Amino acid sequence: METGATQEEQNRWLGKILVSLGSLFLLCCPLFLSSYGEGLMTRFLIFALFAMSYNVVFGYAGLLSLGHAAFFGAGGYTVALLKLHFGVDLFWISAPLGFVIAAFTAALFGIIALRVSGIYFLLVTFALGQMLFSLAWNVKWLNSKGMQGITGISLPDLAIQGLTLNTTWYYYLVLIFFAISVVVLYRLVNSPYGVALVGIREDESRMAAVGYNTWLYKYLAFVISGAFAGIAGVLFSYYNFFVSPHHLGIATSFLPMVMAIMGGVGTFFGPVIGAVVFIFVENYASILTPQRWPLILGGLFVIIIMFARDGVGVYLWRLLSKVTPGYGSIKG
Amino acid sequence: MDWFVINMLNGVSYGMVLFLIASGMSIVLGAMGVTNLAHGAIYMVGAYAGWTVAIKWKATFGVGLLVGGLSAAVVGLAIERGLLRRLYKQPNEQVLLTFGFVYILSNLCLWIWGGWPRPPFTAKFLTGSIEILGRAYPKARLAIIIIGLLLAVGLWWLQEKTRMGAIVRAGMDDKETASGLGINLERAFAAIFFVSSFIAGAAGVIGAQLLGVRTDLGLEVLLLALIVIIVGGVGSIQGALLGGILIGVIDAFGRAVFPQFAMFTMYLTMIIILIVRPTGLLGRKI
Repeated sequence: METGATQEEQNRWLGKILVSLGSLFLLCCPLFLSSYGEGLMTRFLIFALFAMSYNVVFGYAGLLSLGHAAFFGAGGYTVALLKLHFGVDLFWISAPLGFVIAAFTAALFGIIALRVSGIYFLLVTFALGQMLFSLAWNVKWLNSKGMQGITGISLPDLAIQGLTLNTTWYYYLVLIFFAISVVVLYRLVNSPYGVALVGIREDESRMAAVGYNTWLYKYLAFVISGAFAGIAGVLFSYYNFFVSPHHLGIATSFLPMVMAIMGGVGTFFGPVIGAVVFIFVENYASILTPQRWPLILGGLFVIIIMFARDGVGVYLWRLLSKVTPGYGSIKG
Repeated sequence: MDWFVINMLNGVSYGMVLFLIASGMSIVLGAMGVTNLAHGAIYMVGAYAGWTVAIKWKATFGVGLLVGGLSAAVVGLAIERGLLRRLYKQPNEQVLLTFGFVYILSNLCLWIWGGWPRPPFTAKFLTGSIEILGRAYPKARLAIIIIGLLLAVGLWWLQEKTRMGAIVRAGMDDKETASGLGINLERAFAAIFFVSSFIAGAAGVIGAQLLGVRTDLGLEVLLLALIVIIVGGVGSIQGALLGGILIGVIDAFGRAVFPQFAMFTMYLTMIIILIVRPTGLLGRKI
């Protein structure tokens, strides 16, 4: 604790310890969780991935997008449509296609939405997401017979001999994709590209003056973020067995934003912490009082904004690095 | 010919409701820089309050209109004074907070009024129809056009010719200088929010004829308002009026020509406007 450097060193150690503990828990938790708890953990991982992807645009690039569910839903609908119309169960076809279609949707929407900035960007992304919602709502081909949404999705076929996926296997499949995404996104935001994104967030005109093509940087962030949201959507579709137009619309778009703000905007693991809090509050609230869950959810938004604006994750982190002054010596 | 006129009237009357919905939100966004996503939910509160007074308690439509507007205004003012006031210049937080109120208000309305949608209602003397070009046309729709035009003129006058309007415009251009000149922006903002919520609530009662009264109005109306604002441009009465009528008319003809894809004509218009004029038809830069 003598100098700032050791403080930083110590924080790095604390971070490593927390990440290892977290990974250990994620790896082992199916051993002692009920299948219900396992499902909850799968749900948590999927939404944590979704929130992390959103955070690239929201936290790092500073773009307030309200249409991110469009890409999540695009991934999910790809899986569902392949199953519904072509009977495709094979993971290795559906998942890459979902990823590509989500990225393609993001590439298209990015061209339209990035013509404007600030509040306008928010309005436009919102409206574009709702456009997909109303498309999914109205077009017959995009719905199962006689209902809104597509049902009858099952766990994917991995085409591995002798392996039929159950929920535990599926949990690990999701965990693998979560881990890969964490590594890729972590490298991305800590690369020169990620640093430049933060620079653009802080002062775009200066970055442009220094010679950065700021539009391209933001656009790439938007597309990459959309593609990873697409992975989350693909995984969600298999998990939920059902996709509905709402998974493309504003109600879903808000989730990653809430999680990111709840956990700490612009910090890498903040959205994951936010997802933990959100998924478990959602779970208990909807068991206790399903009718009033929206009321609690809305109240939660208000409380978070008024009292925990920096994010619960950031708050916990500060608390932890304060109460663990001795960890610096471990490295010795 | 009469097909054209009837659809035009449908479009303009719908457009007037859209104008009423969007104008308040647009002014709040332009003048205060506050993104109020709860605007649609405030509209819904007005619609329910108006229904309760005008239909359930059998008061006159005018009283319902007033009560609807006032209760919406009170809810809006409470949100602004209690919470939003602390979040000026923090768009992320505003968005999250006000969307929280979409959930809260929708669920409260569901709790208080129950889930069944109320049928459209209007004033007694406006039920029935008159003949236009040999076709029966509902009086209520014509009344909406007239009310909308009157309100548009009134709001325009408020914006361009009064001290409050001058404060709004000054605040839009340069907040620091305006407050440096001794203008109490806090009070002006509260007043703007009150008026904007009042219009939203009154629009809820007027628009009940076209949109009904439901608990999912909060989101639907918000979306309509956003599209109108994107098309018309942020921060002016004229923009909201132009955007509202344009979207209303396009929607009406869209419904008449290809009913299945009516909703997309709206989005298509929005996307074209964005590509041609990103700040909207009459927008100023924000």
